[in-house]
Amino acid sequence: MDLNYTPEQIAFRAEVRAWMEANVPKTPLKTLEGREGYDQHVEWERTLASGNWGMVTWPEAYGGRNLDLIRWLIFEEEYYRAKAPLRANQNGIFLLGPTIMEYGTDEQKARFLTPMAKGEIMWAQAWSEPNAGSDMAAIRSRAVRDGDHYVISGQKTWSSRAAFADWCFGLFRTDQDSKRHKGLSFILLPLNSPGVTVRPIRQLHGETGFAEIFFDEVRVPVENRIAGEGEGWNVAMATAGFERGLMLRSPARFQATAKRLVELYRQHAATASPAAREAVTQAWADAEAYALNTYMVASTIQAGGHIGAEASLNKIFWSELDRAMHRVSMSLLGAAAELRTNADGSLNEWLEGYIFSLSGPIYAGSNEIQRNIIAERLLGLPR
Amino acid sequence: MDFRFTEDQITLRDSVREYLEGTHTPELLRKLDEHGNRDPQVWNGLVEMGLAGLLVPEDQGGLGMGLVEAALIAVELGRADVSEPIVDTAFVAAPWLAAKGQTDRLGDIAAGELKVALAHDVNPWIADLDQAGAVLSNGALADVASSPVVMDSVDPLRRLSARGALGGNDPLLLDLAALMSAAQLIGAADRMLALSVDYAQQREQFGQPIGSFQAVKHHAASVAVKVEFAKPVLWRAAYALQNGHARAPIHISHAKLAATDAAIFAAETAIQIHGAMGYTYEVDLHFWMKRAWALAGAWGDRTFHLKRIDDAVIGGGIDLGPDRTFASEMIHA
Ligand SMILES: Cc1cc2nc3c(=O)[nH]c(=O)nc-3n(C[C@H](O)[C@H](O)[C@H](O)COP(=O)(O)OP(=O)(O)OC[C@H]3O[C@@H](n4cnc5c(N)ncnc54)[C@H](O)[C@@H]3O)c2cc1C
Repeated sequence: MDLNYTPEQIAFRAEVRAWMEANVPKTPLKTLEGREGYDQHVEWERTLASGNWGMVTWPEAYGGRNLDLIRWLIFEEEYYRAKAPLRANQNGIFLLGPTIMEYGTDEQKARFLTPMAKGEIMWAQAWSEPNAGSDMAAIRSRAVRDGDHYVISGQKTWSSRAAFADWCFGLFRTDQDSKRHKGLSFILLPLNSPGVTVRPIRQLHGETGFAEIFFDEVRVPVENRIAGEGEGWNVAMATAGFERGLMLRSPARFQATAKRLVELYRQHAATASPAAREAVTQAWADAEAYALNTYMVASTIQAGGHIGAEASLNKIFWSELDRAMHRVSMSLLGAAAELRTNADGSLNEWLEGYIFSLSGPIYAGSNEIQRNIIAERLLGLPR
Repeated sequence: MDFRFTEDQITLRDSVREYLEGTHTPELLRKLDEHGNRDPQVWNGLVEMGLAGLLVPEDQGGLGMGLVEAALIAVELGRADVSEPIVDTAFVAAPWLAAKGQTDRLGDIAAGELKVALAHDVNPWIADLDQAGAVLSNGALADVASSPVVMDSVDPLRRLSARGALGGNDPLLLDLAALMSAAQLIGAADRMLALSVDYAQQREQFGQPIGSFQAVKHHAASVAVKVEFAKPVLWRAAYALQNGHARAPIHISHAKLAATDAAIFAAETAIQIHGAMGYTYEVDLHFWMKRAWALAGAWGDRTFHLKRIDDAVIGGGIDLGPDRTFASEMIHA
């Protein structure tokens, strides 16, 4: 155990910090969940890529820096310290990217990873269907083989930022006689393909942050399939593991929120309740615990270990922490909590954050599903 | 930066765990409960494992290990509900004496010949004073007065005496003991979860194991989350104290808080999963539950440790933010 950064890691932090200080937009971008803000965020992705910061852990051949996970954590810490924008590229770099890295052919890696790291193609996830939410194995959207193409028909829903993204990836039923987990394939396609209709859905906060995707005999080349036909479920489970595990929600995000929460508390100390004060201290402690745990996991993975169902512990912890932190912020703001904009006209970030935090326990596999996984796969309780 | 244990540390932990699983069984706990709580054979076994001298420097007859190893082992002692004063003597008094340069009795500790009780103003009691050859009080080892007044703990295997005029406010003593209490609480929490899972696999209702009911599964899963996220906090606290970080007291308070909350939650959930069986003296669970209640208040209760974190976080004692996780310094030292 050595909880000191090496001189190289310290130098790396300084390098990231200097770049962020010089490049992070001085005024906050508009929301990622709306068209205008999304475009601003894509612009930011390209700025990041121009500095070669798209995804630092990736091989240099695909636009990365070939850095280890500890450095990725340092990068994220500096990223959130600098209040850099949310990642429009997150579905790509954190979820699909690692999936292709593990299951893709060399051609697929070359074709998809580099444009991803450069922020040239933005990705949407297309798993959920109206009748396949938690029960993803109930997927019905079909991909019927026709020579060297699949012909896709069906409907996906809740696809985050699909109204703005360029491509989507998801699971489709390639074996029409199959049931449940079998006969599904992992397929990538452009959202401007003929036969694709994207219908934006307004979210709780009013923005069209997710969308339904309708497929009407959409032709997709077979080479857009990741891994073998019918092997989609395992691939998707790996992607879900990345989502719940290390990547999607790095601890820095919550530590930055905890820090802002402490500052908010200090502004409202005169009127805040002792319970709110305790909740703020607890928030800091839990964000810290999440960071420590992540460093442990990263160290283990780096040394050749891996995490499986443990990712479910993470997902519950960060999503419930995020909700708890924002809940306190609402109580600290009191009557001002309901205002959508602050006195200076800026967005009430705490309110936006609170609303978004309510989705954390639902997306990426609901926390009930995560608790099932923990009970059955980590603790060994009967199915 | 490498937040992992070494292979040697894992081997050491596993060998202690295995030894305790084999010898320090629930049957033994029952026997101790019926026959005076302490057993020289148990103590001798721990000494033979080398635990008494774990933190004593090698030139004083010990193994010269550090607080990270001690915390790892203290978790195992908590998991087995060991009640001999090994933690107080070997993982608190020994490193305290070594740090203060009071080395003359360290050899006796390493040899298992001296049990040390700990007196501090934060506790109204002293544990195992009646067993001890010396008491650490007001910054030095003192002799034990002939017949200490015995107090009754909820934990049937704890032996408490009134603190009387002994005590003092030594900060290092408090930090060491709070750290090791946190470690034992984690061990107890782990064990209570394991007992709950075992019970849920065996007990059948409605024609199936109760562990197949989702409400029961989710109870257990929530405990797992709480316990697993308390562990890294404990390891970091041990590391920080071992390395003399100025922030160590805050990390220790964090560890004590997280471990206490995890253990109390594990206890309440465990009793629920056990049903009426959990409300009896007959099922093993009660030993760990009571140890958790006892240690929750020992060496600074929840309020005490929350206040230390609060002073640092809200009071501005440390700088905050994503880049500060492994910072060692205080702003106002
Ligand atoms: C903000 C947001 C973004 C999203 N982005 C995407 C995206 O980009 N792509 C995508 O494909 N999907 C996305 N989703 C959808 C998300 O994956 C689903 O919402 C999620 O899988 C749950 O499915 P559901 O909403 O149909 O709820 P349901 O499955 O209908 O569940 C409703 C409730 O029942 C509970 N429940 C269901 N089954 C069980 C069970 N077996 N045991 C216990 N409780 C159960 C759930 O936990 C939940 O509380 C997004 C969702 C949100 C909120």
